Amino acid sequence: MIVTALVLGPILIGLALYALPKSAEALARGAGIVVAMLAALAVIFFPHAGDASVHWLARPFDAAFHFGYGPFSYWIVLLLALVTLSALTALRVPRARDFTAQMLLLLGAMDGVFLAKDLFLFALFWDLMLLPVFLIMLGWGVPSHGPAGGRGTAAWRYLIYNLAGGLCLLLATAAFGVVHGSTDVIGDPHAGVAIGEVWGGWIFAGFAFAFMVKTPVFPFHTWMPDTYTELPPPAVAVVAAVQSKAGLYGFVVIGLPFLGAQMHDAQLLMFVLGIAGLLYGAFAALAQTDVKRIVAYSSLSHLGLMVLGIFSFDPTALKGVLVYIIAHGLFNGALFLSLGYLEAREETRSLTRLGGLGAANPRLAGALVIAALAGLGLPGLAGFAGELLIITGLYHGGFVVASIFALIPIVIAAAYMLRLYQTAMNGPQRLDLPQRKDLTWIEGLALVPLVAGLVLLGVNPAALLTSNGTETVSVVSSLR
Amino acid sequence: MWPTFAIAIASLVALLVDLFAPAGPARRGIAVAIGILGLLAGGILTAQQYGHAFIAFSGAYSVGGFSVVFSEIAILGAILTLALGLGIGRDDQVAGTTALLLWSTVGAILMAGANNLMMVFLGLELLSLGLYCLCGISARSSAREAAMKYLILSSMASGFLLYGMALIFGADGSVQFSDLTVAPVNAMLLLGAGLFLVGIAFKLSLVPFHVWTPDVYEGAPLAVTAYMSVVTKAGALAVLARFAYAALPVQSANEILIPIWVLAALSMLVGNLAALAQTDLKRLLAYSGVAQVGYIVAAFAGQSALGLRYAIFYLAAYTFMNLGAFAVVAILSSGDGIIGIGQLAGLAQRRPWLAFALTFFLIGLAGLPPTAGFTGKVLILASSIGAGYAWLAGVLIVGTAISAYVYFKIIRIMFVRVDEAHVKPLAIVHNPLPWISVALCALAVFALGILPITPSDVLPLVK
Repeated sequence: MIVTALVLGPILIGLALYALPKSAEALARGAGIVVAMLAALAVIFFPHAGDASVHWLARPFDAAFHFGYGPFSYWIVLLLALVTLSALTALRVPRARDFTAQMLLLLGAMDGVFLAKDLFLFALFWDLMLLPVFLIMLGWGVPSHGPAGGRGTAAWRYLIYNLAGGLCLLLATAAFGVVHGSTDVIGDPHAGVAIGEVWGGWIFAGFAFAFMVKTPVFPFHTWMPDTYTELPPPAVAVVAAVQSKAGLYGFVVIGLPFLGAQMHDAQLLMFVLGIAGLLYGAFAALAQTDVKRIVAYSSLSHLGLMVLGIFSFDPTALKGVLVYIIAHGLFNGALFLSLGYLEAREETRSLTRLGGLGAANPRLAGALVIAALAGLGLPGLAGFAGELLIITGLYHGGFVVASIFALIPIVIAAAYMLRLYQTAMNGPQRLDLPQRKDLTWIEGLALVPLVAGLVLLGVNPAALLTSNGTETVSVVSSLR
Repeated sequence: MWPTFAIAIASLVALLVDLFAPAGPARRGIAVAIGILGLLAGGILTAQQYGHAFIAFSGAYSVGGFSVVFSEIAILGAILTLALGLGIGRDDQVAGTTALLLWSTVGAILMAGANNLMMVFLGLELLSLGLYCLCGISARSSAREAAMKYLILSSMASGFLLYGMALIFGADGSVQFSDLTVAPVNAMLLLGAGLFLVGIAFKLSLVPFHVWTPDVYEGAPLAVTAYMSVVTKAGALAVLARFAYAALPVQSANEILIPIWVLAALSMLVGNLAALAQTDLKRLLAYSGVAQVGYIVAAFAGQSALGLRYAIFYLAAYTFMNLGAFAVVAILSSGDGIIGIGQLAGLAQRRPWLAFALTFFLIGLAGLPPTAGFTGKVLILASSIGAGYAWLAGVLIVGTAISAYVYFKIIRIMFVRVDEAHVKPLAIVHNPLPWISVALCALAVFALGILPITPSDVLPLVK
């Protein structure tokens, strides 16, 4: 019940919001916040909610409307609810009724992706979650090149890339269903899936392409910087924090258990792409002046590290990936929301124009510094635990060269994150910048779930691993 | 035969409206009401035949699961066509056009149940003759051009079809489909089957026999275009299905049909590629229809029983999606007008519900959830892969990827924010009937997407 409500509730309420009059902005926003809060509370207080399954198709393959928590998805769904709650609380967006409705549709669709235990259902929500992002970019996009130049272009690129991936996923799903006879397999250790050599390669290729585009893995990342820059801050917080994890999640819950042999075959390629991504992302972040683009490229770098962790097939590294998925979601959400505050106040995102804001905005500076420090992997915050586990796992698994490469971006991350913070907040005050009030208490409060999560997870990452992480890790162990 | 009688009688009654009803809008209402009631009666009578198989006219016409399903789709298409355009033409033309539309529908029903070559031809001509007139009903010169083009090219296709039938008869000595399965495979039969398939491909507008489609669709009145995009295709698909599944010599059926799968693959690619360049909504939907028929024909590949069911499912889904889209356009363009996609700019700001409805139908045509288009496509993919035609499934995905550009181009235009001052206000139709059609289609597209019901009782096709 709970899991089904997590998916359908936001979608139905999101659609219902359109029935409100356009002027009922405060009511719509309130409803959105309440829904996100209820979602978060439901996940926290009912961690053992059972699966909900209704039979769907008998031919051409068995499929079911099957939702339920898995060892990875529980935490990602919690992350999603928290980030959405923060995002909806944090910033006011024009035409709030429509925007809130789209955000709720996005929340429901993404809950569907992570809670689906049927591959076909997974594919359905995978495609569905594109639409709200596309419509948000069209309606609320922040043009990145000139006043109206880029409008719609980034949305277009986002859609075409991800739809191409989604269609490959669909084809692979259909083939999987025909070959195996059932798609109701996610998270089921007894599914006994045996995809032969003939089909395995093709099916894996379809899934892998979809996952690599969505993550994104270098060289399929070119849609990402523009998308992250043009999305309005609340939406980019959710997309960057959670939607980018869908690909990694797919590799873990579909690739590892069902297509293990093909994953092993692809290991070298994925290592090369992962390392390319983490180096390229780090250096590119160093060169940006647009604050949102810095974080976008840093994301590419961090995601590359997680790809390495997954394809090392090392249990420690995989635990690290789970911790880092959550940590990255938390600090990325916090970073994008802080930058949203910054942009809303100063009306610019360019580091060349920002400076010395810390003196007048201590609370904004505080929020930004915590997020940035978590992003560069400071011990005591969540990012560090994930990075450490992944790199230890890589080293442990015998991938010494890869683990050395993985260390490089951590150093560079310190450079670009501190540059971002230092330039914007420290230094002499720029007199041409408008002087605005510091964060209001509600704006600060909006970040509390994310910051609290960062600290809690940083101090005690084991909380994630002891109870729920074991199942997936055991699946991986059996592969080696 | 009662369903066809009901519809034919309704069409004769509709003709009488001109004699007895007062001139003006009342006449339109009465004629459309008679048409819809007759079609509903036909639909109900047809539904009662589901599950009962019997043969009429000494083997020429078979009634049963298969023909019931296709007849229902044709009837549904006709009802929605009448509803979305509120009849076709001016007030004083509506009675006549309604009668023609019903006769054409009778032709489609005959095609759905045709059990020999003669009945196929009879149904096809009955369907087409009415449409020639309907295409040219408007006074626009482009409508006349469309009617003329359709008449000439379609007659030529009928010629191919007839010549193919003659050769098949020469080779086999029988016009019954059931006799064909044991016919000797020789050059004459192959040539006959080839010409027959060319004629059908033309009616289905499969590439490369599609060139007439965009011009005719563009010129014809909106409702007629909607009708042709669904009912003509349903009739021709019924014939193709019966021919492919049950009317070819068993051992060589696969080889004879390979060209058809190639045409289907070409249609998916060329139809979508050509649709990319279109700016007129009707032309765009014409090309997208070419591709959509390609998807349906792809489901026949391998002649699996599941493939036939999924083809029927997708045809039903396509009917609702396409007619839903046409209904939205009809509301926006007040009947006959030609509408460019540029005119939809900012629709989401001015008419959010219409914009959402059109978006829903378009994402259905693009094969995205939560629509019947999505589910139907997955079913077709699965059946193609299962039947050993994975390459067709691959082409289908490539075609779908291209089509995403086409449909999302429209969605993007509707949703990008525009300056209110620069947008011309649209004349909106306020009659409830088109709005009800939109709602019904949307509901059906959603419901079929969640619960893909496919007819189980469609085989055997011939007796």
